[in-house]
Amino acid sequence: MTAQRAPAGPILDVRDLSISFGGLKAVDGVSFNAERNRITTIIGPNGAGKSTLFNLISGALAPRRGRVLLEGRDTTGAAPHRLQAAGLARSFQITTLFFALSVAENLRLGAQTLEPAARLWLPVGSSVRARRRVDELLERFRLTDKADYPAGKLSHGEQRRLEIAVALAGAPRVLLLDEPTQGMSHGDTAETAELIRGLASDVTILLIEHDIGLVMTLSDHVIVMHQGRKIAEGMPEAVRADPAVQAAYFGHV
Amino acid sequence: MRDELTIKSHAGYWLAALLLLAGLVVAGVGFATGDVFYLRLASEALIFGGLALSVDILLGYTGLLSLGQALHFGLGAYVSALALIATQSFWTAMGVALAAGVLGGLVGGFIANRVRGVYFALITFGMAQVSAKVVYNTRSLGASDGLIGVPVLDINFGFFSLSSASPTAFFLLALAILLLLYFLAAYLLDTPFGRLLIAVKANERRVPFLGYRTATLRLGSYVLAATIATLSGALYPMLRGFVSPELLFFSTSGNAVITVILGGAGTLVGALYGSVLLTVIKSVVGSWTEHHLIVIGLLFMVVVIFLPNGLMGLIQPGIRARLARGGRR
Repeated sequence: MTAQRAPAGPILDVRDLSISFGGLKAVDGVSFNAERNRITTIIGPNGAGKSTLFNLISGALAPRRGRVLLEGRDTTGAAPHRLQAAGLARSFQITTLFFALSVAENLRLGAQTLEPAARLWLPVGSSVRARRRVDELLERFRLTDKADYPAGKLSHGEQRRLEIAVALAGAPRVLLLDEPTQGMSHGDTAETAELIRGLASDVTILLIEHDIGLVMTLSDHVIVMHQGRKIAEGMPEAVRADPAVQAAYFGHV
Repeated sequence: MRDELTIKSHAGYWLAALLLLAGLVVAGVGFATGDVFYLRLASEALIFGGLALSVDILLGYTGLLSLGQALHFGLGAYVSALALIATQSFWTAMGVALAAGVLGGLVGGFIANRVRGVYFALITFGMAQVSAKVVYNTRSLGASDGLIGVPVLDINFGFFSLSSASPTAFFLLALAILLLLYFLAAYLLDTPFGRLLIAVKANERRVPFLGYRTATLRLGSYVLAATIATLSGALYPMLRGFVSPELLFFSTSGNAVITVILGGAGTLVGALYGSVLLTVIKSVVGSWTEHHLIVIGLLFMVVVIFLPNGLMGLIQPGIRARLARGGRR
């Protein structure tokens, strides 16, 4: 089963995913596919259920109905650590780092799964592959000169970059980014967009993003959510022109 | 590349080496003067230092406040006493204590790790209280009197043997075992496993997304701590010749927490220094007044407010800075 090659077709296949909180249908029958090494962006007004959808896919919440297939394997309701092993990682909308630990240590923790499990019991210094991964990420995310800083001492923009880097450290094949540019300055946002674009060459990215300009330039495919449901999907330009989408954002449906 | 946490760990090694040196001096002076009292007191400080060490693994590294670590310490003391009375063998007693430590840790950890935060503290407190009351009311365990008549041991190391009746020999044995336990813990806490415990303390929510199950990590931490507490406890009847239910009481657990705070939480070696410090204070102040608990309480408050990193917070930064400078490539 595990030795089998990843099947062709969508790397992530979400079918009829649903969950309610009390009477509220937070995510209601959402289905979509994410194609390998593309950026699929989920947009929608506040409260549309985007983050809840991420929580369902990333194992933070178990769905009441529906299925999630990762590379053809059913991962519905799997715990986050199992999903990480299966190749799916995520970042958080609210920065969720190890603030007391150094930037390098945050990344090293994320990269440890690249090492054989036996290395867990050997001195940290012997995890060479993890260390190399850390250096590579520090460079890529322009944090090299902040490597020894406690993560809590970084600027907001740097913390948001580290948030992505930590999720990426374990070399996932699918990466969920929940509003990676949240609260960033314009300059930082543009730089981060560039970074994300660069990642897509070897990782499939699922993105939640509010900045419409960014969505248009970054996305290969856009999914629009409103009140827990998927109301449209397609190429960025086509989605923007969709009357239902315009109604969801500017009027009522 | 300098790794702050590894440097901190190495600073601890230097302080442990210093403790070893001080211990050897104490043993030498004690032996030369034929002292019994202070060597016994120092041995006791080390044994309770082991209990504090186990509390620090939970509190200082994993972020779990145990108010019932005396449960595992007392378990070690009782199984050791029983094994010693039955077999007079040091190695049997330590072997039984090791098994009891791991098993007790698995059971205790399984129960206590169902909950977090304040509830973890309460449940560890509860487990220890229940066990203490059970022991207190069990006649075959000596009930409120405890177990007396633990024999004097000839501890055989193959090419030499030493007697538990010799204060110097037993002090050196306690010093060796406690430092061994310290180095074991310090080694493990500077592996990726140990770093994951630190990550649990720093931000438990993120850890599963790194690919690790937090329940397993917390259990691992608990078993490690419980084993160290149990092995330390196993030395107690060899020193005192008896065990009593007080070893399981809250005062024992609470003292261990105070020791860790005084010494510096999250430093490991601070637990050993803290225990020596606390023992010295108790014995010095105790010779002036019987109200030494007031002094210890005040000291505890002062440390919490003005020295949040305890005694090690005063000493360690200097050593760390030196190591960081020397260790740069």
